[in-house]
Amino acid sequence: MIKIKNVSKIYTINKNNTVTALNNIDLNFKEGELIVLKGASGSGKSTILSLIAALSKPTTGEVIVDDKRISKLPDRFASLYRRENIGFIFQKYNLIPTLSVQKNILLPLVPSNPDEQEAQKKLEIVMKKFNISHKKDAIVRNLSGGEQQRVAIARAHINDPKIIIADEPTANLDEKLSIHFIEILKELKSTNKTIIVATHDPLFFDLDFVDKVIEVYNGNIVS
Amino acid sequence: MINKLKQAINLYLIQYAIDAILRSKSKSLFITIIFTFLTFLLTSIFFITNSVKHELNTTVDALPQITVQKIKAGRHYDIDISIVDEILEITGVEDAIARVWGYYYFENIGVNFTIVGINQYEKQYKDSFEKLIQKVDIDELNENSSMIVGHGVKQAMEKGYYLQNYFNFIKPDGSLKKVNIAGVFDAQTQLESNDMIIISQEQARDIFDISEDMATDIVIKVANPQEIDTIVSKIKLQYPDTRIITKNDLKVSYQNIFDYKSGIFLAIFIISLFTFFMIIYDKSSGLTSEEKKEIGILKAIGWTVDDVLKEKFYESFIISFISYLIGIIFAFIFVYLLQAPLLRDIFVGYSQLKTTFELPFVFDFQTLFLVFFLSVPIYIAATIIPSWKTATLEADEAIR
Repeated sequence: MIKIKNVSKIYTINKNNTVTALNNIDLNFKEGELIVLKGASGSGKSTILSLIAALSKPTTGEVIVDDKRISKLPDRFASLYRRENIGFIFQKYNLIPTLSVQKNILLPLVPSNPDEQEAQKKLEIVMKKFNISHKKDAIVRNLSGGEQQRVAIARAHINDPKIIIADEPTANLDEKLSIHFIEILKELKSTNKTIIVATHDPLFFDLDFVDKVIEVYNGNIVS
Repeated sequence: MINKLKQAINLYLIQYAIDAILRSKSKSLFITIIFTFLTFLLTSIFFITNSVKHELNTTVDALPQITVQKIKAGRHYDIDISIVDEILEITGVEDAIARVWGYYYFENIGVNFTIVGINQYEKQYKDSFEKLIQKVDIDELNENSSMIVGHGVKQAMEKGYYLQNYFNFIKPDGSLKKVNIAGVFDAQTQLESNDMIIISQEQARDIFDISEDMATDIVIKVANPQEIDTIVSKIKLQYPDTRIITKNDLKVSYQNIFDYKSGIFLAIFIISLFTFFMIIYDKSSGLTSEEKKEIGILKAIGWTVDDVLKEKFYESFIISFISYLIGIIFAFIFVYLLQAPLLRDIFVGYSQLKTTFELPFVFDFQTLFLVFFLSVPIYIAATIIPSWKTATLEADEAIR
């Protein structure tokens, strides 16, 4: 389902300064798999997620999802690809802090101008699923870290994407909330979603429902 | 139909734009206030200019084609009526009328009234006077020692404690002449008649001490306006002791006053535009890191560049159009209802000695369009351009 072929990513800081985030890597993920990318900060995990989500383009090589070369997509089609296929849970949640919970969750639906009843139905389902209905009118910046993460998960889920990507999802959570998040992941996996998690949290490494644990070190795949 | 409209207009995007405005309340409010004020100022300037221009054009149109005045020691003196017949003999002259008129200074409140003496049996030099004598019997006014006054005159008299229905004119020899007020003049235009008193020619002569064989000046009507210059030179040759003023001369002198005054307005206009463009420059020079991050987030969750720009368009259109509308409404109220206090004095300041003058309502779509195109699209562009710059970055880069 997801193929990463000979991909390198080099960030240009200025004329004389570049950083190689990924160095000629190859990866293959199947549909419905839950993959954990582990490695220290700056190892290149988040860059891999960015490339799969078409948030950035590789410097060399290509990323293929469902036989589509998403690394070659023009910006507009990359956005449409994200809208239809990707649910991204960011490390710092990346919510709009001054909007309410329900408005944040609805954001991915806004460009497709859905029917109001249909949108409301989807909203209620995800809010209930991720146990955030009681806070639907609360302003996001007033929520706790765990609640904000549930909003971020609900937002990633509202379009019912095939691929869920989570970047350091438990970095800002205590152990209890981290375990709760893992339970949510398990539930999502049971719906045959492809899930890719980048983390250095040891809680993820020995889970029985994880299909692959891939270690990234200095832009290379170690194991 | 409604469904099609719903599909064409994304209400979610509009709702998001409204939320975005409300989320940054103080910033939005500040921009709205500044925008409204500048629109208000620009529109007020245009409204006042249009009104005064309209007023002056009406006044100039009503002016005689040629006016002949007697000059003695460089000053204007009464002219001999016998000249009228001689002027009528000049080829091309259609009519020549001797006028008896003058200014009367009302000391109580420091204003000038214009007193016009009318002879019912003579041809009038103004259409409005022709109409007047159809309605009013000037002979009767004369017999009853009465006059018809402009609205402003009546107000000025009341202001100067002349609450009775008569007025005592002080004649040049110091004696008083009591004249009753028979009615208030129906204004054709305010500049022309607001400070005017219509009276019989006989009474006007009495008030100004002008003898039967003299007049204030002579106005001439020419059949072919192309011949005005030729006729002027003929009169000048025949009467070297006169000053001849053509309608064009008066037009130029009115225009000079107007241009001078509108120069001051132009300065205010330029300052307003300069302030507006400073704000625009500041806005177009970039987005805050929060604004950039928000665009990055929206792109990351599937918004296209088009979606981001549409939302920014709605956001800036709502702010700028509302400000524009409020500015226009305030300008309407300020200029036409409140009569433009402070700004109006720049234009009508020269007529301090005149009685009250009201800015007439002149509706001009062009003005509204001009102000719209000078403000709303420029503000929208200044909002959209920096957003477009950010939205076309890779989403990953924008979030960082």
